[in-house]
Amino acid sequence: MTSALAGLRVLDMSGPLGNYCGKLFGDLGADVILIEPPGGTQLRSEPPFIHDRADIESSLAFAYANTSKRSLTLDLEDQGDRATFLRLATTADLVIETFSPGTLGSLGLDYTALMSTNKRLVLTSITPFGQTGPYAQYQADDLVGLAMGGLLYLGGYPDTPPITTYGNQAYAAANLCGAVASMIAVLAAEQTGTGEHVDVSMQEAVVMALETAAQFYDLEGAIKKRWGGKQRHAGTGVFPCKDGYIYFMAGGVGGNRFWRLSCDWFEEEGVPGSAQFRDERWFTHEFLSTDEAKTIFHDVFVPYAANFTMEELYRKGQDKHVPIAPVSTPADLLKNPQLQHREFFVEMKHFLLPESFLAPGAPYALSRTPWRMSRPAPRLGEHNAEILEELGMASQPRPTRRAVGATR
Amino acid sequence: MTKRGPLAGIRVTDFTWIGAGSFATKMLADAGAEVIKIESAERLDSLRVAPPFKDRIKGVNRSGYFSDRNTSKRSFALNLKDARAREIVLRLAKESDVVANNFTPGVMERLGLDYDSIRAIKPDIIYLSMSMQGSSGPHSRYLGYGLTIGALSGLHHLSGLPERLPAGTGTNYPDHLPNPCHGVFALLAALRHRRRTGEGQHIDIAQTEPTIALLAPSVLEYTVNGRVVNRTGNDHPSFAPHGVYPCAGTDRWLAIVVTTDRQWQALVEVLDAPAWTADERWNTASSRHANRRELDISLGEATRQWSGEELMNRLQVAGVAAGLVQDAADLIDRDPQLAHRGHWVRLDHAEMGVSLYNAPPYRFSSSRVELASAAPLLGEHTLEILEEVLAIGRVEGQRLIDEGVLV
Repeated sequence: MTSALAGLRVLDMSGPLGNYCGKLFGDLGADVILIEPPGGTQLRSEPPFIHDRADIESSLAFAYANTSKRSLTLDLEDQGDRATFLRLATTADLVIETFSPGTLGSLGLDYTALMSTNKRLVLTSITPFGQTGPYAQYQADDLVGLAMGGLLYLGGYPDTPPITTYGNQAYAAANLCGAVASMIAVLAAEQTGTGEHVDVSMQEAVVMALETAAQFYDLEGAIKKRWGGKQRHAGTGVFPCKDGYIYFMAGGVGGNRFWRLSCDWFEEEGVPGSAQFRDERWFTHEFLSTDEAKTIFHDVFVPYAANFTMEELYRKGQDKHVPIAPVSTPADLLKNPQLQHREFFVEMKHFLLPESFLAPGAPYALSRTPWRMSRPAPRLGEHNAEILEELGMASQPRPTRRAVGATR
Repeated sequence: MTKRGPLAGIRVTDFTWIGAGSFATKMLADAGAEVIKIESAERLDSLRVAPPFKDRIKGVNRSGYFSDRNTSKRSFALNLKDARAREIVLRLAKESDVVANNFTPGVMERLGLDYDSIRAIKPDIIYLSMSMQGSSGPHSRYLGYGLTIGALSGLHHLSGLPERLPAGTGTNYPDHLPNPCHGVFALLAALRHRRRTGEGQHIDIAQTEPTIALLAPSVLEYTVNGRVVNRTGNDHPSFAPHGVYPCAGTDRWLAIVVTTDRQWQALVEVLDAPAWTADERWNTASSRHANRRELDISLGEATRQWSGEELMNRLQVAGVAAGLVQDAADLIDRDPQLAHRGHWVRLDHAEMGVSLYNAPPYRFSSSRVELASAAPLLGEHTLEILEEVLAIGRVEGQRLIDEGVLV
C-alpha cells in the first residue's frame, strides 16, 4: 500500500519541541532521519525510562516520539560533519530544527545557506518564543512555555497556585503547530519549487489553546481564571462516583439542549430532588453560573452518582444522549472497549525489552494511505553507515565521544 | 497583486461546527484555502450562542468564541430538511476538494452526505470525519465536548494535585490543539496523495485518540513499567525547583525551572544569596529534589518580594528558565514578544465591529499565511457562493432564501 508522504525526506535535528512533529511525518511514510549530536538528542534524557534506568537508550518519551525514523549522529561543530549535513540537506524536503535562534547561522547552516543548494527546501524552526523579538533568546522548558502562553494560569484550583497540565503540553503545542505549518509549506514547495522558512513559537502555539480567555478580556473586560475541582457552571465539572470520578456537562456548550435530556435521565432514574431542574431558571446560563445552582446540583447529583461506577454512569448518561465521560486513568484506557474496537493501541518493540508492549497508535485512520509505525525508534547512530553509504560517502570511523545524554 | 496563500485553489465544503472541527478548517482558511462554512439558522452552530458576546449582548453574530474559530471563511446557510437544499449542497461538494464534518456518526448518513454518497458524485473527494469516538464501535454514537474528551483520554486524571479532585486544564483543551492540528495534518497528507495519484480517501478521526497520543508516556509507564501515573501538581520527576512562585501583587506567579547546578547558582546570585540558600541540601539536583517542599517554601518567600517581570528578566539574563504566569491582560496588553510577532490582530466584523483575533501561530518567510477576514455573519455569503460556484443567479438565490431553503 502506498504512503501519503512517500518520497519526502525529512531531517529532524530537533529536540522535545520537534521530535513529535518529525514522527507525524515518519508514521505517514516520509523518510525521516533523526540527526543527533554525538551524545544523543535531548529527549533521550526525558522520563519515563524503561525500568527506571536513566540511560540514553531507555527513555520511553524518546521511544514514542521517534518511531519511523533513522538515526544519524553528526557533530555540527565539526567541519566534516557539517559538510555531510549540507550534502544531506540537498536531498531533503524539510528540515526541522529547535536550536536557539542564531545557532544555525553561526554554523553556516541558516536558511539562506541551505536554500542556496536546494531551492525547494522547507526549514521549520520551532523555538520557545520565535526567531526574533525581545524574548527570542529567553529559555523555556515546558512549564515556562505553558506559563508565558497563558494556559498555566487557567490550570489548578481557585485556592492554589496555578497548576500545570500533564504531558508537556506546551511542547506538544509547538510540535503540532510546527507539523501543520511544515506540511502546508511542503505541499506548496512541491507545487512551486520554492521552499520557505517557517518560524514557530511555542508561546504563540500555547496561546491558541486559551479557549475564550482572550475574547472574554477583549469583549467583556473579564479575566478568566482557574476553576479546577469546582463546577464551571451547575452540572459541568468533575463528580465522584462509586469507583472514581466522572466528568459531566449537563448543559453542553452554548445552547442548553442537553439540560432537558439530563432532566429526562434523572426523572427516569428517580433521582430525589431532580424535579426542580425543570424550573425555568435552570435553563438560563445566568442561574447555572451561581453558587446556589452549583450547590443544589451537587447535593442532588452526588448522592445518586455514588451508587454507580464510572462505566455505569457513562453508559446510562450516554444512552440518554448527555455528555458524560469517565475520568480515565492510563490503565482504564487499555480496557476501553471503544479504543479496543478501533485497535488504537498497537504493539511496539524496543531492543532492550524481550516482549513487545502496547503504545498509542494511529491518531487518524486514512482509508487509502494508513498510518504505520514503520520501525521502532532508532538506537543512537544506528543508521550512520547506511545513510552515509546512500549519500555515496564512505563511513569514516571517528572517535566516539562519551555519551552525555543523561544531563542537559 | 496580492499574494495568494499556499493553500489557494483548495475548496472545502465545511460542515464542521463547535470547537475542534471549526478550528481545523480555520487553519486551512488562514492558509488560503476557500472554506465554505455550511450552517443553518434551523440548527445553529452552538458556538454562535456561546459567550463571550460583544458588549455582553447575546446574538448569533456576536460571539467571540465563534468568531475566533471562523476567520477567513465564508458562510453559506441552508436548511438541510429541505430536499432542494440537499441538492445544492451536493453540487457544492462536487465542486470541492474536501468535505469536512465533526458530527456524531449517523448524522451525515441520514442527510445522504456520507462518504459513499459524496464519492459517488466526486470520486476523488477527501472526506474528513472528526467525531468524538470514530465512525464505528460500541461507543461510536456517544457524544461529548473537549472537556469530556479530556476526561476520557486521561488528561483530566493526570492534571492537578494528587490529594484533590482532578483539575484538568480548565479548558476544552483537546478541541483547541490536539484534534484540529492532527486533523489538518492528516488532511494535507491526503491532499498530497491525491495530487500524486488522483485518489481521494476517507479520514476517520476519533477525537479521543490524538489527545491520548500526546499522553503516550503515561500509557507506556503502564504497559512497560506497570505503573499507573497519578497527578503530581507542578512537580518534575527529577528536577527542583520546578514550579510557580508568588510575586508582588495579587495572584501573580513566576514559573521557574532549574535543571542544572549552574542554574541553581545563578538563581542564588540573582536573589542576592539570602542566608537560607547556603544550606548544603541545595547543592545537588538529587538533594534539591528530595527536599523540594521545603525548597519551594523558602524560594516562594524570596520571590514574593519581587515584581514577576523584573525577576523573570534577571533570571533569563542569568541563564535560568523563568516565565510569568500570564493572564489574558498580560498577553494582550503587555507581552512585548507577542506584540513583536503581531500575534493579536484586530479585524472589523460586520456586526461586532473591530475586535480581537489570534493570528496563526507560525510565520512564513514568503507565503501569505494570515487572517484574510473576520468571521462571517450567518449566511453572509450564500448568494455570492451560489453565483460564483454554482452559477445560480441572485434572483433565483433570493427566492430560495425567501422560501426558507437557504436559511
